[in-house]
Amino acid sequence: MNSLMIKALAFAVVLILATVAVVKGMNIDLSDPVNMLTMIGAIAIAIITAGVTTKYIGQMKSDKSSGELVGDRWDGIGEYKNELPSGWAYSFLGVIIWALWYWMVGYPVNAYSQIGEYNEETKAYNAKFEATFANPDQATLTSMGESVFLVQCAPCHGETADGLSGKAHNLTSRISKEQVLATIQKGSNQLGYAMGAMPPMLAQGADAEAVATYIAGGMKGTAPAIYSTCAACHGADGKGNNGAAPNLAAYDDTLVTHVLENGKKGSIGTMPSFKTRLTPVQEKALSTYIQTLQGAK
Amino acid sequence: MFHWLEKNPFFFAVGVFVVIAFAGLIEILPNFAEASRPVAGLKPYTVLQLAGKEVYKKDNCIACHSQLIRPFKSETDRYGQYSLSGEYAYDRPFLWGSKRTGPDLHRVGNYRTTDWHENHMWDPTSVVPQSIMPAYKHMFKNIADIDTAYAEAVTVKAVFKTPYDAPNGTPLGTVDEARAAALEEAKAITADMKNQDVKDAVAAGKIPEIVALIAYLNRLK
Repeated sequence: MNSLMIKALAFAVVLILATVAVVKGMNIDLSDPVNMLTMIGAIAIAIITAGVTTKYIGQMKSDKSSGELVGDRWDGIGEYKNELPSGWAYSFLGVIIWALWYWMVGYPVNAYSQIGEYNEETKAYNAKFEATFANPDQATLTSMGESVFLVQCAPCHGETADGLSGKAHNLTSRISKEQVLATIQKGSNQLGYAMGAMPPMLAQGADAEAVATYIAGGMKGTAPAIYSTCAACHGADGKGNNGAAPNLAAYDDTLVTHVLENGKKGSIGTMPSFKTRLTPVQEKALSTYIQTLQGAK
Repeated sequence: MFHWLEKNPFFFAVGVFVVIAFAGLIEILPNFAEASRPVAGLKPYTVLQLAGKEVYKKDNCIACHSQLIRPFKSETDRYGQYSLSGEYAYDRPFLWGSKRTGPDLHRVGNYRTTDWHENHMWDPTSVVPQSIMPAYKHMFKNIADIDTAYAEAVTVKAVFKTPYDAPNGTPLGTVDEARAAALEEAKAITADMKNQDVKDAVAAGKIPEIVALIAYLNRLK
């Protein structure tokens, strides 16, 4: 054992003692495997440092250079002939062969395209999606609808779909009195229903109030007389004559799809169209999910 | 084997330059020639939108929001169609960003609207409870710099030939026309807003920064 090794060992011991002192001093819980591993790692680094230092400082002190020099001298400085290690050389050859394969066979003339890969991935995903959800049952639709809702709808309607205290439409009930009144005042022609535009001011004053209260209240009890005007398009039961006009009584697939595809500018704010952002299955799923929210609050 | 080359540093440098320049020629130049042309239907920013872009830069939105949708399924599902270089043709500078503490905004105009932005900039957690974005209430008070935005538009029109005043394009006109047009655009936006101070300011002919910013964000599609 020479003096260098003794110095290195002493240094390692100092480092290890310092590590242990820090661990004790900071009262670190060593039953936690992460802390334990960290301490073992620190000690290992101290030992490895001592070992490596000893080896290379020793080598610097004792090694003599030898071997054959290449022909050239650079201002009198020569260079040994060092052959490539064979493993390195074979890997290099392998990479050259792989590059030839890449250029000639794999992606001829650099034909790889990120967009192409994206298109293939999307196509495969869409095919898989269609196959998996060709005939989804209610439970699948509800859970898919919840996922889509949380990503696409929750930023405006809130995670519980309550419209974030009036910042968006409250989806846990069909419609509020203010919304009915606003629609009666302004009319509506936004949702692309077969019935076409609803003209403004079909009901006024007390009539409008009465019908708005009736519709917002869930259409229970006797309809006010003026409701016959609404019933002409929306149906006596308010359900929209099988999808000809918006359903006033409850959410149905037709209503949700029409709103999603056309967007809507209402009394609260503007909802953008989601036409290209959702598939028909996702729209149906959203509708199913929204219908499960009714009366949940 | 190549010692003769190493003994001629000048020719060695020329050789290195040729090799690297060749890669640049075949990889970079075609892209400049084709993909960076404006995409069909792209119009230059209006003066109000440019003022909003200045607000976006000034308040450093780029530090947390990118404007570049990569062609990955997970990104296009969330943000929409991946970005094309031709879409940034009139962005000087483009605001790609490189950090997504918040979501990408390149197509935010497709899925958020004026009223949402108003709520969100006033108090982000009122619409996104987990949001760590700070509120930007000062934007409702500070007045946007329309004249500088106009100067910027005039400059890019003169220097980079950005097609303002083209048929069916974005009109620019004189500074008075531009101020009037910006105010009209601002009025259309404030019609969808609820903040009374902002509405009053616009009615008095001043445009708060929030209106310009919303004009810019609604334009990002």
